[in-house]
Amino acid sequence: MCLGIPMQVVAIDGFNAVCEAQGVRRAVSLFMLGAGEVAPGDHVMVHVGYALRKMTEGEARSAWELLAVLGEAAP
Amino acid sequence: MSGEAEARLWLGRIRALPPGPPVAIMNVCGGHERSLSMLGLRALLPEGVRIIPGPGCPVCVCPEEDLADAIALAMAGGVTLVAFGDMLRVPINAPKGEVASLAAARAAGADVRPIAAPQDAVAIARAAPSRPVVFFVAGFETTTAPVAAMLAEGVPDNLSVLLSARLTWPAVAMLLAEEDNALDALVAPGHVATVMGAEEWRFVAERHGLPVAVAGFSAESLLAAIYSVLRQKREGRAFLDNCYPELVRPEGNPTARRLLDEVMEVTDAAWRGIGVIPRSGFALRGDWRAHDARARHVIAAPPRRRAGEMPPGCDCASVVLGRRQPDQCRLYGRACTPRHPVGPCMVSDEGACHIWWQAGVRAH
Repeated sequence: MCLGIPMQVVAIDGFNAVCEAQGVRRAVSLFMLGAGEVAPGDHVMVHVGYALRKMTEGEARSAWELLAVLGEAAP
Repeated sequence: MSGEAEARLWLGRIRALPPGPPVAIMNVCGGHERSLSMLGLRALLPEGVRIIPGPGCPVCVCPEEDLADAIALAMAGGVTLVAFGDMLRVPINAPKGEVASLAAARAAGADVRPIAAPQDAVAIARAAPSRPVVFFVAGFETTTAPVAAMLAEGVPDNLSVLLSARLTWPAVAMLLAEEDNALDALVAPGHVATVMGAEEWRFVAERHGLPVAVAGFSAESLLAAIYSVLRQKREGRAFLDNCYPELVRPEGNPTARRLLDEVMEVTDAAWRGIGVIPRSGFALRGDWRAHDARARHVIAAPPRRRAGEMPPGCDCASVVLGRRQPDQCRLYGRACTPRHPVGPCMVSDEGACHIWWQAGVRAH
């Protein structure tokens, strides 16, 4: 439950974003990030539908590799 | 450098450390335990280095009273009860024939729905504005902060929260304060620290004189943290190290912490099978109490025999506290498996018993 999932921001409307990971799109809240902190194309660590922090593409990729190894569920 | 090469590097460094007395390192995160178990990292460590799963599963420590309240609310009818999926199968002690889990309540006709995010609770409440919706929340800071954000952002009037949320560090503080504790070092939880900050774990080094390192979930981050605390131990030092600097700042996520402070206050709270831990739980603060399910609904749960009980024979409380390994429980792999779980540690994805079973550890 405390394991976040990295996702890429596709679109932003206020605090509401559409994010994508492994081809799956989800609504993600940016309410816990600073205003203007992320833009489409950025990567974020998402936990229960909320972005906890911005991350780099490389960090997102290595986190996904780990999740694939662990067999974690889709976002 | 690739993750694998980096992991090999840290492992080499661990193995190159001078030998010493046995070391017991606790982790307090189901995600850490999952990585350690599924990646087989324990088997790679030198003899005498033990990694013990500690209190890292919020579902496992959710008190029976709270579960019983959630079940009673759902069974009384007239409300929709939503909860993270893990919570639905957690059993309580109930007389034979009575509803002993939210999943059983659902099977008996109650309107119980699993959700994956707070936004799902808001959407369900918006879709039926005249029907009360109760969001039953068990979780650590990573889950509680989003719930605080959900409330701060504004929720429909018909949505209330039945809170069973806990802080991670007070259980560790309680364990370390015990004189006979056998712990030598701590690996601190990466995503809890992403929200709350690495500094929250400094007390382990400064108050208890034990090495502590915040870790991420990859092999390389976990092995870096294990190397850090082992090296500290061998050199007779104790400080706070951050082996997950990509995400973890000393102060955490300031917005998330501010939202938590605005919406919640910290209270004494019961942990299942463990008892009350001072200042270890969250409660709604001030005006937010209008969204407290306990303030809105009369909950007619049958009186419990005593706080924090586990099913007969279940050692989950000892497993949560790291006093017993999962496979040292008499029920592990016999009466209790993921298909037919007896205790919460076998139900939750973050429970040590569930993780060890998935990683192939079988009963002796």
